[in-house]
Formats: sequence, C-alpha cells, structure tokens
Amino acid sequence: MGGQACILYGAAEFSRDTDIVILADELNLRRLRRALASLKAECIAVPPLALKWLRKGHAVHFRCHLPGTENIRLDVMAKLRNAPSFNKLWKRRTTVAVAAGASYELVSLPDLVQIKKTQRDKDWLMQRRLVEAHYFSRPRRPGAAQLNFWLNELRTPELLVDLAKKYPQRTARVARRRPLLAQALRGDELALQAALKKEEEVERIADRIYWAPLKKELERLRHE
Amino acid sequence: MKKRLPISTIEDEWLDWYRLTPAQRWKETQKLWAFFIALGGSLDPEPDSQSPFNSAYLRRPSSAHGRPGLHIIRRSRV
Repeated sequence: MGGQACILYGAAEFSRDTDIVILADELNLRRLRRALASLKAECIAVPPLALKWLRKGHAVHFRCHLPGTENIRLDVMAKLRNAPSFNKLWKRRTTVAVAAGASYELVSLPDLVQIKKTQRDKDWLMQRRLVEAHYFSRPRRPGAAQLNFWLNELRTPELLVDLAKKYPQRTARVARRRPLLAQALRGDELALQAALKKEEEVERIADRIYWAPLKKELERLRHE
Repeated sequence: MKKRLPISTIEDEWLDWYRLTPAQRWKETQKLWAFFIALGGSLDPEPDSQSPFNSAYLRRPSSAHGRPGLHIIRRSRV
C-alpha cells in the first residue's frame, strides 16, 4: 500500500519508503520478525513491534540496514481506517508483475482510494490521481463497475461533468449515494469543486477523530 | 448557466504517466530512485505536521548542512 502502490497505480512517480499491511496474528508476526531480521531492520519510532499495537491501528516504523537496501524505511500496519480486515484486503488484492519473476501484491485500487481519505493534503492529491489514472487508462467501453467506481470516487470536476453528460441515468442513480453528482449533471464545475471540498473536509475531520486517541498514545509512549 | 472552472484541474504532465503500464512506471521510478540516491537524497521522513505519525518518531537523525537531502556544491547568497 502507500507510495509504492501509488506508483504502480499511476498516482505517484517516486516514494522514499515502503508501506505494507499484514495479518496480525502470532504466526505471521514470527514470520515478519524473521523477514525484518534478514533486512537488518531497526525499529526507529514508537510503538515497538507487538500485536497489541498493530491491532489498535498503530504503524510500526523500521529502517532497513541490509547492504543494498540503502536504509529504506518500512512501515507496517495491520488495521486501517476506511479499510476492511486484512483477509478481505488480501482477497481483493491486485497482483502486478513488474519484471520477469518479480511481482507485488497491492491493496486493490478501490481499497487504496478509501485508505487515502485521511487528514493529510498529500493523501488527497494521491487519491485524486489514483482515480484519474484509472480513468485515463480506461477501455473504450467501460463496464458498470468501472463507471460506478468513477462516479463514486473521481475528484476532478471536469471528468465528473463529462461522465454525467455521457451517462446521465447512471449518474442520477449514483447521486442518491453521492449527492454532489447533481452538480455534475447540471454541468456546474464551480459548484462541484466546492462540494468536493466539503466532502473531503468531512473525511478529514473523521480521520482526525479516529487518530486522536492513537496520537495521545504515541505521545505517551514517546515520553516513557 | 453552466459554470466552468477557469482552468482545468487535470495536470497535463501526469497524462503521460497515467498511460504507462505498471511495469513501465516501475522501471521509471527505479531510475528516479538511483538518481535520488546518487545525489545523496535523504530517506528520513519529512516532517509532516498533518501526519498522525509525526509524534511517533523518537528523534530525527541530524543531517549534513543542517537539513536533510542533497549535498550542496555551490549556492547563491540567498
């Protein structure tokens, strides 16, 4: 997930770290510890690696010191806001082959789009680009699932207006779930932009509320 | 009356990137990575006051010239 997935999906060109989501159980944690040991990974922040922190929703941050890893950072999480359980994420994952014999298991695009709805400016930029990239790599005749995904998740006013023009009935149906699409049907990009901003603000507030107790816990751990 | 945005919010320079395959993007990002490392780019997390992880870091390693990133060879007076 994170920056590396955004690169592969087309939303970013570069990322300085790697973020992974794991299944938080005893057996998997033992496997992870062995993998981290082989990377000579050092925990560089609070909390330490333990099931209780991962299950609460904290990220555990590492730096890898194995020669060839160039001290890359690795962030590990097991529970994310706006994401289902690891088992569901795994079932819905996308496997991408980048070279002969090399492939990566990515959080699916729809799941990643939800995960990126945070309190951070940079995540909203990623979220917008994730859906744009998917839209611009579309086949000539997108199917219902693709159309619904774009209507539900695009954050680019002119693309929403374009879709509403081409698929007015579908847009009207999805508008029951996403009312700002009414502005897309009217072709009002300015009003749509304002409505998108309000939609974003609701998610930002929800993310701040979600993280408030976790941040308090991080501060406490940091000063222990 | 339809109200258009004064300029498009679609960043044209991204359209070429969107049209690459994941494997092509991966190849390009590897080049960027090599270039970044060769220039001495820092892999430390950027301070991000919006990130809930900002308070997780125990200390930020100090870096050359007092700030993370590149080795400056020549600079203006500013």
